[in-house]
Amino acid sequence: MHVCCGLTGHLELAKRPDLYGGAVIVGEWESHVIAASEEALPFGVLQGMPLRQAEHLCPQATFIAPDPIAASRLRELISIALYDLAPVVEVRVEGIAWLDVSGVVKPGESIREARRRLRTAIGREPRLGLAPGPFSARVAAARARPGRLVQVENARTFLAPLASSELPLDVEQRERLDLLGLRTLGAVAAIGPRELESQLGREGRRAVLLARGAEPDELTPWRPPHFTSAHRQFEPPVEDREALLFVSRALCGDLAAELGLRGAGAKRVRVRLVYESDEPDERVSTVRHPLSSAAELFGLIGGWIKEWQPRAPITELWIELPVLEAAGRRQLRLWAGNDGTSEEVIAAFERLQERHGDDVVRKPRPALLSSPLPSQRFDWVS
Amino acid sequence: MQELEHAISTIRVRFGSQALTRAAEMPPPQPWPSRTELDRLTGIGGLPRGRLVLLTGNGTCGKLTLALGLLATATREFAHAVVIDPRGDFDPWALLPFDPELSSLTVVRLDPDSSGEAATALARAGAGFILLMGEIPEQWLGPMEAGANRSGSVIVGVVDAPGRAFAHASSVSLGFTRTDWVWERDQLVGLRTIARCLKNRVAPPLGESELEIRYPLGPQLPFARPVIEVPIEKADFECTSAAV
Repeated sequence: MHVCCGLTGHLELAKRPDLYGGAVIVGEWESHVIAASEEALPFGVLQGMPLRQAEHLCPQATFIAPDPIAASRLRELISIALYDLAPVVEVRVEGIAWLDVSGVVKPGESIREARRRLRTAIGREPRLGLAPGPFSARVAAARARPGRLVQVENARTFLAPLASSELPLDVEQRERLDLLGLRTLGAVAAIGPRELESQLGREGRRAVLLARGAEPDELTPWRPPHFTSAHRQFEPPVEDREALLFVSRALCGDLAAELGLRGAGAKRVRVRLVYESDEPDERVSTVRHPLSSAAELFGLIGGWIKEWQPRAPITELWIELPVLEAAGRRQLRLWAGNDGTSEEVIAAFERLQERHGDDVVRKPRPALLSSPLPSQRFDWVS
Repeated sequence: MQELEHAISTIRVRFGSQALTRAAEMPPPQPWPSRTELDRLTGIGGLPRGRLVLLTGNGTCGKLTLALGLLATATREFAHAVVIDPRGDFDPWALLPFDPELSSLTVVRLDPDSSGEAATALARAGAGFILLMGEIPEQWLGPMEAGANRSGSVIVGVVDAPGRAFAHASSVSLGFTRTDWVWERDQLVGLRTIARCLKNRVAPPLGESELEIRYPLGPQLPFARPVIEVPIEKADFECTSAAV
């Protein structure tokens, strides 16, 4: 596994880029510090400490109230932006973005692009780390200068001299480690997992594995939402097929833009016509390869509308994409060169087969090439 | 001159800024190097992407052999090389001596009326190479060219004598005329043909070449070797570009 980690600072801070460069502390009054900028850290401000204490330590800081909805929206936007760069992407509001670049054809390009997109989203250069797992990648990124990458080949060797405070433990557990004399990750790695488990519980076992570079934690991949739709009401109701085609093309364009933003493709397409004085009509199709461009969507939907015989004037047109699928796989193929449009071509073949029958599109497979009979030389696969 | 400028601006206001483009502002067509003598004849170092290239000539002049060579190269270079075969007589066996990658090859067999729809859909979708084994209906030529232009597909048509609309839609038209047969040990092994650039919208025409086309009797035989190249001084091409 090769994981790239981009550290950007807490996303609560990123929503106020105008305050970059100064000490900023995020937290509710009478509560704890949720995030603090790098400029506030030298004053002793720590995440989780009471806000009153933080104010006492750094009175010149700007204090802002948290906005978890905005932060999670930003997290979603960053996930979308990074989604097509690696098969597994996880972004946390703490300002950590992980990309599992194992198996990516050109990981260097992926990492460079991730840096560019993170900089665009946050407005600051991220620190980057590349290591065998998420924990070591995060620790490596924390040691990089902004806009630079620290690459780690052997996680255990890299982690050994670092302080045990890097481990994701609470304050009490860290104190116990200190009391046990385990002040470096190398010291933690040297003892058995069960021994530390008896002292700290399950967290102790996990801490030993992390310190050994065993990376017990897996990334939780971000997945795009699974449903979207677009619709248009007609006032007055329409009977003209050209108008329907025009509107459906526009709706396909809107949906394709949304799919592109989410990095998703439609696995199922449903079109519903609502009549003025009759039960609605609908048509559903499941496609083999997800449709993501306006041309692909309109190719299918336009074909339906052209042959549809509406029973009455139409008051509403709905285009629903009830099953969405990740299109990241498609994006990655772009880097292999020359076959970026492969799935659109396959979708075009399938549409031709739907309209004219399976036999119109076939691939030759060598069978008895030496046969004098042309019909025996190839098997034709639909 | 002022009236012409006024007319141009009126057309742009009414139909959009892309309706008329000055030739100097048009992006040059991107070539797909086929590594054959045709690259020199087109004048841009390859077959133009997003345009229709026609190989024409009477029977047994070598155009289909050349097209099969192009198709085999395309199967190795593109994810999808498609043969649109309205007559239903395309035999992939003839392609084997050119060492094709058969997994990339797809054959679409539709009646001539529907083959235009197929060509347009595949050009829009971005199929790398489309070989048309016959003409397609006139009403599909415009959409096909527009789709190919957007996706950069290479479209090659092989016809004996193209109809008026098909010839007009092509950007490069190469005519083949057989001059001689090639015999070896009393066996017919190929032919000599003159390939002429009859029409070129993508570059000034570079004349004609005499090609020796060997029938693919075995995998080791070359299929096209220019033996004499005769540049033509006089330009005998038609320019039908809509550029101002």
